[in-house]
Amino acid sequence: MSNLNLSGKEILRFLNTHYEFVHSAFAAGKPHFMIDADKFMRLLHDYNAKNESKISLYRLTSEVKFCRQLSTGEYKLNRNYIPFLEYLFNDFVLNLPETLKNRYQAVFNHFTALKTETTGFRVVLLAQEIINVIEDFLSDIEGQTQRLLRDTEALKVNVGNHSAFSTRIQRANFWIDEYIIPLNGILDKERADSIVNVIIQLQQYSNERRLLSDNYELKLEFEKLYACAVNAKSELNKTLSKLTRELLPLLERIKSDSIILNGFYHFVENIDDPKAYVAALPHIVRRTKSSVTSKAFAAEAEFYIDQFSYLTPEILFNESDEDIEWLPDAAFFKEQLLKDDGVKDFYKWCLTSLEEQTENITLSKFFTLSNMLLDEDLVIEYKDEKRYEIKLADATLLMPKIKVYAKLSK
Amino acid sequence: MQSYPSEHREIVSALVDGRFVIYPNPTFVSLKLQEEEYREFFTQSYGYELVIDSEIAYLTSTEGMEKRTRDFVLFLALLCRELDYRGKNFRDAIEVGVFDMAETEQMLKQSSKWEVLEKTSVADFNEFISIWHRKNVLFRAEGQFKFTKAVKIFFDFAVNVANAKLKEVEAA
Repeated sequence: MSNLNLSGKEILRFLNTHYEFVHSAFAAGKPHFMIDADKFMRLLHDYNAKNESKISLYRLTSEVKFCRQLSTGEYKLNRNYIPFLEYLFNDFVLNLPETLKNRYQAVFNHFTALKTETTGFRVVLLAQEIINVIEDFLSDIEGQTQRLLRDTEALKVNVGNHSAFSTRIQRANFWIDEYIIPLNGILDKERADSIVNVIIQLQQYSNERRLLSDNYELKLEFEKLYACAVNAKSELNKTLSKLTRELLPLLERIKSDSIILNGFYHFVENIDDPKAYVAALPHIVRRTKSSVTSKAFAAEAEFYIDQFSYLTPEILFNESDEDIEWLPDAAFFKEQLLKDDGVKDFYKWCLTSLEEQTENITLSKFFTLSNMLLDEDLVIEYKDEKRYEIKLADATLLMPKIKVYAKLSK
Repeated sequence: MQSYPSEHREIVSALVDGRFVIYPNPTFVSLKLQEEEYREFFTQSYGYELVIDSEIAYLTSTEGMEKRTRDFVLFLALLCRELDYRGKNFRDAIEVGVFDMAETEQMLKQSSKWEVLEKTSVADFNEFISIWHRKNVLFRAEGQFKFTKAVKIFFDFAVNVANAKLKEVEAA
């Protein structure tokens, strides 16, 4: 079969059947899509060993023209495949901002030509060319931004060793300096040479022309150009927002975080050798006791003062306020008893006498009085075995009837 | 005669005790208002240098230096390393996160660098956290702790080390 007559369907079938090989060759070739001959042959050999459907070198280079061998020996992927494969694998190779700037230059040149062009068909051609360049530019910048965002996310994780911290710092610095800042410049509408600025002008110009043109075909063409400019402005705003509000802060953060981790790494590695810390540790003061004496004097003074520290412990009792009970004056009652010249029922007399003097007659008051029985100058006569109750405030007594009088000697 | 703010005694005892004074504590505000006077005061009275920025203040000295600072930086370095390895944003975690004491101790013990940490004051983790709580570098409560703004001086130290190392590499 002649390769010249190879249909699109056959190319798509090749890509579909040998998707894994195409993917591995694409990945191995990045970013310039050139692969060393040895590596390329190894890829092919490995793929053929694992798959029933084999690929021949002839089919690759001559039939589907997936790649060609350079005079230096390397295999280079066909440029026509690359944008499609980038889109297919959602894996865009970063173009230098200069490449994107070239597209700005193309839009600017075509636009300048358009403004001065008077021939109808040339105007249509230029307008179509501008639309194509803008579409390419949008597609590129979208792919680049996605790629940067994904790579930045990947950069944030999977750091297993110290060299990766340094790599992170270097890569973050590189992306910021080589991509983000120049891209910002291209997209900054405040700058006269930015693509956004050209698109704004293009939008105003095409808007006027689509309304004012007499020619229907030109009117239609400027309508398309206007729509393209409006869409481009909105897409670029989104991209700018991703770059400045997400990507740049994320990269700055990765950079500063990696610097901290890198510093800590060196510190930990040299932990036993303070001279190798390179920077000085914060010299925080240690806790200082505010003493106005020297340690030796303080110790002596403490020893001296200790000599006086032999006070016997003081024991304090909690004294509760107790009601002091009134007790009868036994001498007074004995005098009464003697005056009466004796009593026939001593205990009853005690009770009656107490009742005359106080209320609430308790056992202790009663006994204070009845204890006078023990006095030697009194005689007790006790005949009856019977007892009777004497009710006191806190007790009931069973007492015998006894007779008490003074001794005769008196 | 120098006039002192009503928080003078609090300011001096906190700083001389090796503690950080941190905004929005009213003592920080008083200190900041008389920054120059206090700088002079600490130099003349104690020979210490007062370091104060917009949020934190502390004293430094080359003589009466807190030896456990090295242990704290080591602890912070390995905590950041472990958090980073686990895919966490270590700076957010340190600056605003709350750490469970038991979990953190466990995480450090699982680290391959625990053998370095266990020879330091970090080994008695409970006491270690209490020490740095007293210095206002950490705030500890109910089995948890969080870092205060004072932690940034240790991050600054790491940045200084990294930058010095980068210069060394560039010069070589």
